[in-house]
Amino acid sequence: MNKSLKEKLLSSFSDIQIDITEDNKVFINTKKDDVISVLNFLKNLGYKHLALISCTDWIEENEFELVYILSSYMENDTEYRNKEKTNILVKTRIPREKAEFVTLINVFANAEPYERELHELYGIYFEGHPRLTPLFLEREYKIPPFRKDFDTKKYVKEVFDNIPFVKDRKEKK
Amino acid sequence: MRELELYFGPQHLGMVGNFSITLNVEGDRIIKADANPGFLHRGFEKLMEQRTWIQNFPLVCRINVVEPDSMELMYAMGVEKLANIEIPERAEYIRSIYLELARIGSHLFGLWAYANMLGFDTVAQWAMYHRDLILDLFEELTGGRVYHIYILPGGVRRDFPEGFKDKIIKTLHSIGGCVPDYDNIFFNNRIFYKRAKNIGIVTRKEAEEMGGVGQVMRATGMKYDIRKIEPYAAYDKIDWEVPTRKDGDAYSRIWIVRDEMIESVHMIFKLLDKMPQGKVFNKIPNPFKWNIPKGEAYVRCESSRGELGLYMVSNGKDKPYRVHFRTPSYSHGLTILEKALINASIADVGNIMISLYIVAPEIDR
Amino acid sequence: MDRNKLEKWLKSPTKMGHKYSLHVVYFCTGCGIIEIPPSITARWDAERFGIIPVASPRQANLFLITGYVALKTLKAIIRTYEQMPEPKFTVAFGSCPINGGMYWDSYNTIKHLDKYIPIDGWIAGCMPRPEAIFIGVTHLWTLIDKEMADGYKKYRKDYKYYRENQEQIFGKLEWPPLFQKEVKK
Repeated sequence: MNKSLKEKLLSSFSDIQIDITEDNKVFINTKKDDVISVLNFLKNLGYKHLALISCTDWIEENEFELVYILSSYMENDTEYRNKEKTNILVKTRIPREKAEFVTLINVFANAEPYERELHELYGIYFEGHPRLTPLFLEREYKIPPFRKDFDTKKYVKEVFDNIPFVKDRKEKK
Repeated sequence: MRELELYFGPQHLGMVGNFSITLNVEGDRIIKADANPGFLHRGFEKLMEQRTWIQNFPLVCRINVVEPDSMELMYAMGVEKLANIEIPERAEYIRSIYLELARIGSHLFGLWAYANMLGFDTVAQWAMYHRDLILDLFEELTGGRVYHIYILPGGVRRDFPEGFKDKIIKTLHSIGGCVPDYDNIFFNNRIFYKRAKNIGIVTRKEAEEMGGVGQVMRATGMKYDIRKIEPYAAYDKIDWEVPTRKDGDAYSRIWIVRDEMIESVHMIFKLLDKMPQGKVFNKIPNPFKWNIPKGEAYVRCESSRGELGLYMVSNGKDKPYRVHFRTPSYSHGLTILEKALINASIADVGNIMISLYIVAPEIDR
Repeated sequence: MDRNKLEKWLKSPTKMGHKYSLHVVYFCTGCGIIEIPPSITARWDAERFGIIPVASPRQANLFLITGYVALKTLKAIIRTYEQMPEPKFTVAFGSCPINGGMYWDSYNTIKHLDKYIPIDGWIAGCMPRPEAIFIGVTHLWTLIDKEMADGYKKYRKDYKYYRENQEQIFGKLEWPPLFQKEVKK
């Protein structure tokens, strides 16, 4: 089942690498311009459930790696086939200095909060997204907090430990 | 009529945890809903990158406060997959029994929240009392009422103590014997039928487009359960059924909760019969100097709220490089809720929010 | 009925009224959402101590801060605390409000809650059991008897410094100062 998927992908797209592990996980590495067409192709084959959009910060190689994880719902309500066991992970790399990508809302409608979260925590700009407003965070940060060069201990020392206790503030006056 | 903006703030009975919604209303009817999470954000995934692999276990169970056991299972399964560790057979059965007890406890907590919102105070008190009996069992097994830290990569921490199997059977008989009382006062009640039928409908097409899992999907008729699709622990060694309903409204979702609890009780009895003897723990290397080989893994399981997934990346050092949880409340609370609230009345907002089975700490992490 | 106790009660009926009917604001912050419902339901009955949850902060005089406090929640806590009528008492659960607890290096949680609102007592545990909550509340009764539970008086007296701390972490606050006279000075 997964072998035929591999052949179909290799015949439709050039410059694509596919790895299939023995517990039904398919890892696909593509260029960043091909991602939307690969995802559309997989959605037409029946993998309609977008489970996760994640991002890894490879700071030594100066790149972000975006990961899109897909799986499939059941077509016949009571029969379990091999297709639902498969998870497909589509990975691509974007440069770290100017982090931009295209939005996925036209393909999968539930990609909206994942992209909003990645914009806020990593600083990636998604073109075409209707509302890229803050989701979790209350204040602005100079470096987006989940990047590897954001030092949390230094931040805690500068912001939270600098506020004195009330009795210290009184004695200073 | 004029359009008003209402702020449904973080202190209300409609959600387990702090979560707020901004509603645009016209009279009594809702036109637009805007979710506003972030009251419980601690930045878990950044904190987990700064602690070693074994130090993350007390941290990972505080992501979902109502059912911390499925989070521990996910992290342990991810580490086992990256480091190629096998677990003995008795540990698989113990893990399944432990997770099913946690599922019953979490469903009773959800029943407390839902019955309180509708106004059935008696059922709420009963459900919380029965959950406390299960927490007593957990306290004897692991030492803590709510945060257990019992599952480790390589098995479980310790074996059942003396006489524990009889205590489980006695507690489950006393809870199961009250099911006719629950049915008479809540589930077959005409008032519950009128208040929950055709409220908060999520059709099959909408659920597929917006990433619905768990009870939201099972209420539309699909038997979508990760315990059957990709079995882990000992779920493929006994036979059991997945309960479903057809309508997709709040009434069907709460009936599925009741059916799942009864099915879990039967599963625990079957697992206790078939459990083999043996050891429960395979040795792992020295946790202070444990370097896990390079690689990435994606594992998933079925928590009481839906499909839970974990994406883990390791670069060969002694701390994780990237950990990302896919929680079921994320797509239910941020995408499906905003669609399901349109054209509802203000009095039904809490009803719809709890019947979608959202836990707010899971959204924020 | 014991004659000595009756005299003690009649000597200060206001203290008896404060102690034996503490109404709690029903606001479960952080991790406390799992141990507050068991305390107020049938098994560990909190109503025999006089504790009952109320919906509005204007009717309450005890505020339980159960667990860690994120930045967005701190704004809601300050607003709720300022709306409660006096005399009011606060009790904090766990080790996270004391010094940051398990999330000591997180960028979004408050490390010392004592700098922003006054706290009368702390209860140990992660989360404390319902029995520990009741021991904490009975200890609060002895503090009320000896007039040592005076967090609200400190807030009124040192309001200028509390407000400066709150403004240092949030920038400009959207609500005006509560006690105008002390700040204008």
